[in-house]
Amino acid sequence: MALLEVQDLEIAVRTKGKLLPVVQGVSFDVDDNETLGIVGESGCGKSLTALAIMGLLGGTTVRITGGNIRFDGMDLLTLSDGERRSIMGNRMAMIFQEPMTSLNPVYRIGDQIIENIRQHQKMTNAQARDRAVELLSLVRIPNPSERVDSFPHQMSGGQRQRVMIAMALSCDPKLLIADEPTTALDVTVQKEVLDLMADLQTRMGTAIVLISHDLGVISETCDKVAVMYRGRVVEAAATENLFAELAHPYTRGLLNSIPVVDSDVDWLEAIPGRVPTLEEELTGCAFHPRCALVTKLCATSVPQETEYKPGHSVRCHFSGKVAP
Amino acid sequence: MTEPLLRVIDLKTHFRTKASWMFGEKQLIKAVDGVSFDIAPGEVLSLVGESGCGKSTVGRTLTHLEQATSGRALFEGRDFLVMSPNEFRPLRREIQMIFQDPFASLNPRLKIEQTLGEPLFIHGLCKTWDEARAKIAVMLETVGMDPLVMKRHPHEFSGGQRQRIGIARVMILKPKLVIADEAVSALDVSIQAQVLNLLKKLQQDSGVSMLFISHDLGVVRHISDQVAVMHEGKIVEIGRKRQIFEAPQHEYTRKLLESIPRVKIGKEVA
Amino acid sequence: MNTLIFFQTAFAGRRLATLGFLWLVMITVAALAAPLIAPFDPLEIDPVGRLAEPGWPNLFGTDHFGRDTFSRAVYGARMTVIIGTGSVAVALLAGGLIGMISAYFTRLGHFLMRCVDVLMAFPALLMALALITLLERSVFNTILVIGIVYATTTARILYGMTLKLRGEVFVDAAVCSGAGHFSILFRHILPNLVSPLLVQASFIFAFAQLQAAALDFLGLGLPPEVPSWGNMLSEERIYVTRAPWLLIYPGMLIVLSVFSMNLVGDALRDSIDPRFKDDIAGV
Repeated sequence: MALLEVQDLEIAVRTKGKLLPVVQGVSFDVDDNETLGIVGESGCGKSLTALAIMGLLGGTTVRITGGNIRFDGMDLLTLSDGERRSIMGNRMAMIFQEPMTSLNPVYRIGDQIIENIRQHQKMTNAQARDRAVELLSLVRIPNPSERVDSFPHQMSGGQRQRVMIAMALSCDPKLLIADEPTTALDVTVQKEVLDLMADLQTRMGTAIVLISHDLGVISETCDKVAVMYRGRVVEAAATENLFAELAHPYTRGLLNSIPVVDSDVDWLEAIPGRVPTLEEELTGCAFHPRCALVTKLCATSVPQETEYKPGHSVRCHFSGKVAP
Repeated sequence: MTEPLLRVIDLKTHFRTKASWMFGEKQLIKAVDGVSFDIAPGEVLSLVGESGCGKSTVGRTLTHLEQATSGRALFEGRDFLVMSPNEFRPLRREIQMIFQDPFASLNPRLKIEQTLGEPLFIHGLCKTWDEARAKIAVMLETVGMDPLVMKRHPHEFSGGQRQRIGIARVMILKPKLVIADEAVSALDVSIQAQVLNLLKKLQQDSGVSMLFISHDLGVVRHISDQVAVMHEGKIVEIGRKRQIFEAPQHEYTRKLLESIPRVKIGKEVA
Repeated sequence: MNTLIFFQTAFAGRRLATLGFLWLVMITVAALAAPLIAPFDPLEIDPVGRLAEPGWPNLFGTDHFGRDTFSRAVYGARMTVIIGTGSVAVALLAGGLIGMISAYFTRLGHFLMRCVDVLMAFPALLMALALITLLERSVFNTILVIGIVYATTTARILYGMTLKLRGEVFVDAAVCSGAGHFSILFRHILPNLVSPLLVQASFIFAFAQLQAAALDFLGLGLPPEVPSWGNMLSEERIYVTRAPWLLIYPGMLIVLSVFSMNLVGDALRDSIDPRFKDDIAGV
């Protein structure tokens, strides 16, 4: 049994009295010491999936309407609030995209880490402080014993994101969910943060779910990948298998859309059209209005998940039939 | 040797920060600190660098949105940094700017035709609304939009569509120089490719010069003729695209290029 | 069109605010059709029928001149609407202009806003009193004074909002397309201020009533012969034990109207406050 198992997750958003599905039948699992990348464009449901795992989909507008999420054998969707709180920030932690807003500006970063530690572990303030300094040096903040007393605004964006990682790691979580952790950072800083995460994983064996829109980041850091489009996983495989043979036309289109730094092309092969909005009702395959391989079948029936190669699943009526 | 359309000589833009509430002194931030480059007619120069390197300030200074501290910028031989707002106004038609955030750069309260039409009247490019609408319709088709959208408001469009409208607003004036500040950065990958293709095609068809400001080296490689790498307010390396990407000289350029995550395509382990 | 939708969303599911809105509609109708509704001339004196109790034909009774209180109350609604609209117009025009111009031309703005700060340091009623003593008692002057008092807060609010809008990218874009100062202020910035202005207007409308009633009560507001709710309170206050209805009816009208205006203002404010916007973008 894997550490995190998500099965047939369904999430819906309530707008103007209607319940619109935003995540449909998403399944994946992540094991210790493994990194799963979830890739997709805005509106594909990748962030909502992460929030669902962390139990952050409170409220009435967005809610989980089906499926289940099991973490370490526990059903996360039926836990009581108290049980959930004892897991969150302790055995499961999350890093958000915005390093500017996810730290409280009025408290010293050390105090924020210490509070998180003491919430879950029996430690004196002095012990927790030592631990905070240790964590800061672990995420390679220079002069950790002095920086522990800094306020968030005294640090750069990259440093703040490292503090967030330090905080997430403060209780040795078994699972780390990172939602676009480097999107707001510069490329050189991004590389440092990603290297840091990989390094920490090999040392502590943490399972990571990395959510990103950047295929490059996914390709370099993840063991396996799930590609999402409009609420569904359209293709999933081990990273090297996926990029060896892209089976879904959307994944191929996404890759061809990226202007690469290592060669010149005259024109990018862009996917035509745009990502459909939530309100638009779509029949059949959600990608069919933009797909080059579209047939009548695509417009009427939703493709089922099929095995393209062992360990490489795809949702397309014509998976891999036409070469890119 | 052709005369450059835009020549920037030792441009400096410094800001003074506000002193903090009680303590601390005013600090001088040298956002742009001695930048020089030329853009020939019909050429695309990219300014690439990380956040805070001053690349956007260069663009904002060249459009008089920020005040230059010193240095000169010659457009067809005339220094326009020293011009008063009124002297500069006619030049605004020729030096146009595309902004990053397509959600913020269109006035939410104005119809598309108002946003696109107003500059036409300001610069006397048409006299009546009929004329203006005809021009707007042609321009909207050129950027791949249905002319009927001119009657609608910005909130009815997606990010990619808004950026097309933003491009239409700029190109409708037939400028000689377009400054594109992170023009595709806010867009999703699949939409970014469309808009990038559109920009490149419009640039090639019209022969407009472009100052393309971006942090994304892939995008820069795709669109530029020349590339200038900025770091801490200065250009550390400038040259033809091929030279910068294939034989980078400066250490910082190399570091930037190495940091980019790349997709490993194909089977490496057979 | 947009404003209509704005109103619809503002009042959706707010029963009290909707009732308040209906009450204000009634007041407005009464003000417009006062001669048709009022059974008597509000100024007609009847020495015989002084201080009559509420009943028929004097629904609200009569005052110490024998004037019909109901008719005076209906005409008072007219004064309410005139004072409210007038004060709002003065406050928004003067305050709005000062605020917008101050935010746009920063150097002049610093000076203007310091002046506004000084004026705001006086309590509203005190300032109104100080101003009114310089002028004659008339409807126009009352409007002017109340308008000026609330122009200061309006200027402050619009100053902040314009400053924020001025930093928006679409304003930069307008500058880059060559738009002049006038066009940027009034074509690009002002339309974005419409809904906050509407909210501000509704609150000024409410405060203006209280302010006018207070001035009337002190004998410094409208001329005594003008039938207004404040004047009715002021003139009849000595009869509070003998004919309490003379105070109860206009008093209730003032309270109800001000309360309604505040409810409407709250509803409008909440519907533009971004904190309450249900935003699912960036899913």
